[in-house]
Amino acid sequence: MAHVVLKDLVKTYGSFNAVNHVSLTVNDGEFVALVGPSGCGKTTTLNLVAGLIPITSGEIAIGDRVVNDLDPKDRDIAMVFQNYALYPQKSVYKNLAFPLQMRKLPREEIDRKVKDAARVLDMTHLLERKPRELSGGQQQRVALGRALVRDPAVFLMDEPLSNLDAKLRVQMRSEIKRFHQDLKATIIYVTHDQLEAVTMADRMAVMNGGFLQQYDSPAQVFAHPVNMFVASFIGSPAMSLVPLEATTADGETVLTSAEGWILPLSARNARKVAAATSNKIVLGARHSTIKLHKSAVPGAVPAKTYTVEPTGDITFVQAFLAGAIVNISVPPTVAVAPDAAVWLEFDQDRIHLFDGETEMALNAD
Amino acid sequence: MTTATGRAEPSRTSPRGEPGALRAMWQHRVDYAYVLPSIVVMLIVIAYPIYYTIDLSFYKTPPSLQLRDKIFVGMENYTAILSSDVFWRVTWNTVVWTFGSTVFSFMLGFGAALALHRDFFGRGVMRAILIIPWVISAVAASYIWKWIYHSDFGVIGAVLVGLGITSRPPNFIDNVDTVLPALIVVNIWREFPFAMIMMMAGLQTVPDQLLRAAKVDGANAWQRFWHVTFPHLSSVSTVTVLLLAVSNFNSFIIPWIMTGGGPSNASHIWITHIYELAFGRQRWGVASAYSVLLFLILMALGYFYVRALGGNESKDRGT
Amino acid sequence: MSIAGERPVIPRRSRRQVDGWRWAGRIFLVLMLLYTAAPMAWMLLTSIKSGFAAMQMPPQWWPEEPTLASYAKLLDPQNSVGADFLRFFWNSLFVSTMTTILAVIVAVPAAYAFSRFSFPGRKFLFFAVLLRNMFPAVIFLVPLFILMRVLGLVNTHGSLILTYLTFGLPLAIWLLKGFYDNIPIQLEQAARIDGATRFQAFLLIVMPLSVPGIIATAIYSFIAAWNEYIYAYTFLSKNDQLTLPVGIQRFFSENTTDFPGLMAASFLMSVPVVVLFLVLQRYFVRALTEGAVKH
Repeated sequence: MAHVVLKDLVKTYGSFNAVNHVSLTVNDGEFVALVGPSGCGKTTTLNLVAGLIPITSGEIAIGDRVVNDLDPKDRDIAMVFQNYALYPQKSVYKNLAFPLQMRKLPREEIDRKVKDAARVLDMTHLLERKPRELSGGQQQRVALGRALVRDPAVFLMDEPLSNLDAKLRVQMRSEIKRFHQDLKATIIYVTHDQLEAVTMADRMAVMNGGFLQQYDSPAQVFAHPVNMFVASFIGSPAMSLVPLEATTADGETVLTSAEGWILPLSARNARKVAAATSNKIVLGARHSTIKLHKSAVPGAVPAKTYTVEPTGDITFVQAFLAGAIVNISVPPTVAVAPDAAVWLEFDQDRIHLFDGETEMALNAD
Repeated sequence: MTTATGRAEPSRTSPRGEPGALRAMWQHRVDYAYVLPSIVVMLIVIAYPIYYTIDLSFYKTPPSLQLRDKIFVGMENYTAILSSDVFWRVTWNTVVWTFGSTVFSFMLGFGAALALHRDFFGRGVMRAILIIPWVISAVAASYIWKWIYHSDFGVIGAVLVGLGITSRPPNFIDNVDTVLPALIVVNIWREFPFAMIMMMAGLQTVPDQLLRAAKVDGANAWQRFWHVTFPHLSSVSTVTVLLLAVSNFNSFIIPWIMTGGGPSNASHIWITHIYELAFGRQRWGVASAYSVLLFLILMALGYFYVRALGGNESKDRGT
Repeated sequence: MSIAGERPVIPRRSRRQVDGWRWAGRIFLVLMLLYTAAPMAWMLLTSIKSGFAAMQMPPQWWPEEPTLASYAKLLDPQNSVGADFLRFFWNSLFVSTMTTILAVIVAVPAAYAFSRFSFPGRKFLFFAVLLRNMFPAVIFLVPLFILMRVLGLVNTHGSLILTYLTFGLPLAIWLLKGFYDNIPIQLEQAARIDGATRFQAFLLIVMPLSVPGIIATAIYSFIAAWNEYIYAYTFLSKNDQLTLPVGIQRFFSENTTDFPGLMAASFLMSVPVVVLFLVLQRYFVRALTEGAVKH
């Protein structure tokens, strides 16, 4: 196993920058998820690490070796693809053996390693089958096996679960996590599903528009998103973002809405607002930190419910607030009707404030 | 950016001819090696002949093809062609031939494709039989039909006489009025299977859901065809018709073997006429001038051809 | 008729309407079958008649004394007609096979490149290749004839093979590109990560998958070369070099009334390509439509 260092990585296609000055370090044995919406440059970044496309500028090191100019075959990596990329004309056995044959290992050793991998992944009985005779989950496991037999320095995974159905995806998610724990493998895992990233990764790199937005542990990213994009991308349902305006009332800094209501701020939050570049402030809050009242209470602001979605143990309510849609979660025992007037109370210690111009998170210190 | 498919296509985002183009070509130098064998062969056998033909069209040439003795005559060959009666006769024949063959081949092929679209017992056999004329040589087809049209012992004549429609077998081939339609029938016989194959493939791409939706909306069979199937096949149809038109415009074998252009030029089309000028009467310069004119017409057709294919190509890229 | 066994698949539809369209389709198919098959049937019937029996009015619809004499004559190497015919046959086979082999060797890398790489000018090159399909042989005849004379290839099969290669290549590349487009690029990427070079990935992973496409391309090249007439007619003048289409024409311009012989020769000439087509039509039709009809 080895660590991976990306230094100021750039990939341009003509005048289009697919990857913009991305720098990050993946520690030895670490599970890192590259996450972002489609077209954010995460797969391109992975392909650059794999050597499948040439880099425009920057540096990639695997272990202590700069691999910029090495062929994929010389980088000591294994990759699992979204569509599995199993060789359709070869049996499962031959699929697993192919990377070893390419490395010119002796026949007996290939046989031993293939059978070991098959045993680990519980598919010894499938060895003679062709890929098209396997289910999606089995194909996924073969793809994983083909990466595993090689014992590579780094595993690269490109949305390996997105072609599976929901139930199988949850199951394979824990299998891959288990696989990582057992092997202490270095894994770079690309996904557009923030839930996969949050549940599996040691650290996640959130990307958008080819730029690395935030690189930290899932807990940190969740608790302290650096900007509005990360705030809205991580977490489900998404963090609600309400555009407001900062003004002064009676010497206190408050947020006002176009609808006319006023939201007072704590001293700490007022200091954050003071650091903003303009008076445009975006209020962010996760669904679990907003309290819903059916009648007016002091400090709560008026809103109107839009939809009510019971999920069993929790009920999600969407409401209009100052022209934005806000997600709130309430216990299933609370009965809320659509199109009803409600009042929302924000927890001053758990709201997020963003600069409306720069979209960056505002900090008090 | 289609990062998910791994097909990083820069062509849409990078404007042509920017300063980086040379550098990009250098970066891709290895890729060219794969295409190089084709390009070299193409250059030798295509670019050179085209240049040569254009050049020769401005000269009066001796019959021997001893081209040292050629004389520059400027546009004389062209004016000679455009002022000759034969040119207009042959052009009209070519229009009738190309248009008639293309329209009927397409309609019959499309009809057969529709009739064969639904599965039934014996469909595979029937499809194979219908395609055979397209596979066999046009020379063989010409002889078969020449025998069928034979003025004394032809089977069609025999049938017509037997049914009492005519008193003696008609002479299809040696008649100025019937020769061109008779040859077009032979050409359609060989060409409609191509249209059939193309349209059968096209029909398979018509989404079933759309047809079912139309049925739910109350459309009858004809309305479903007209509003769902046919519009869906427009790009395949365009490509098919263009390919048929080009190939019919370029026909040679059937008229050449069956009639040699006769009687009295009634079945001469451009290609047979050019061939006769060049290799029959050794008038290389005039034949070359003809070829250049033909070339210009084909360029116009080719423009539509590339546009039709180009539409296809970009749709394919978008997936 | 085989379609008589057809049953309505969806019984809910109004019967009268369904029957109207279906009967129209059936009648149309029968007529097309007649149009297609009758000339071929008449060729076969004529070929087993004697010369005298063929020239009767009204004709013998079924030969009264069927004979294989025409076939025996064509296939007898002792007979001068048979010796010529067999020689033409062999020439055609040689030229078509060589063209096919070379076309596949050249077209495979080109089609792969067109399908995979995004080098500048790729689109331009592809259309240049396709455009070649548009120009008639006549445009190329004179200059090619002179070129062949320069190369010393007039009256050799080499001139034909080289020429057929150029008119066969555009379509071969087009057909094969359709196949390569359908092979996911991730397979090669996986192979390269598994330790293969780019070339190994092509050879070990992509090539085996494109075998159906290569077969289809090969059949197409073979059939096109086998049936080609105009270049062979122009480039070859020596009798022992001729290919079948030209040879038959030469031969029967001297024996204009031997229609059974002519029909037998036409039949024999069609046998190789028709058999090849019928055996491999699955690949053939698929390739043509995958190249042309993008989904």
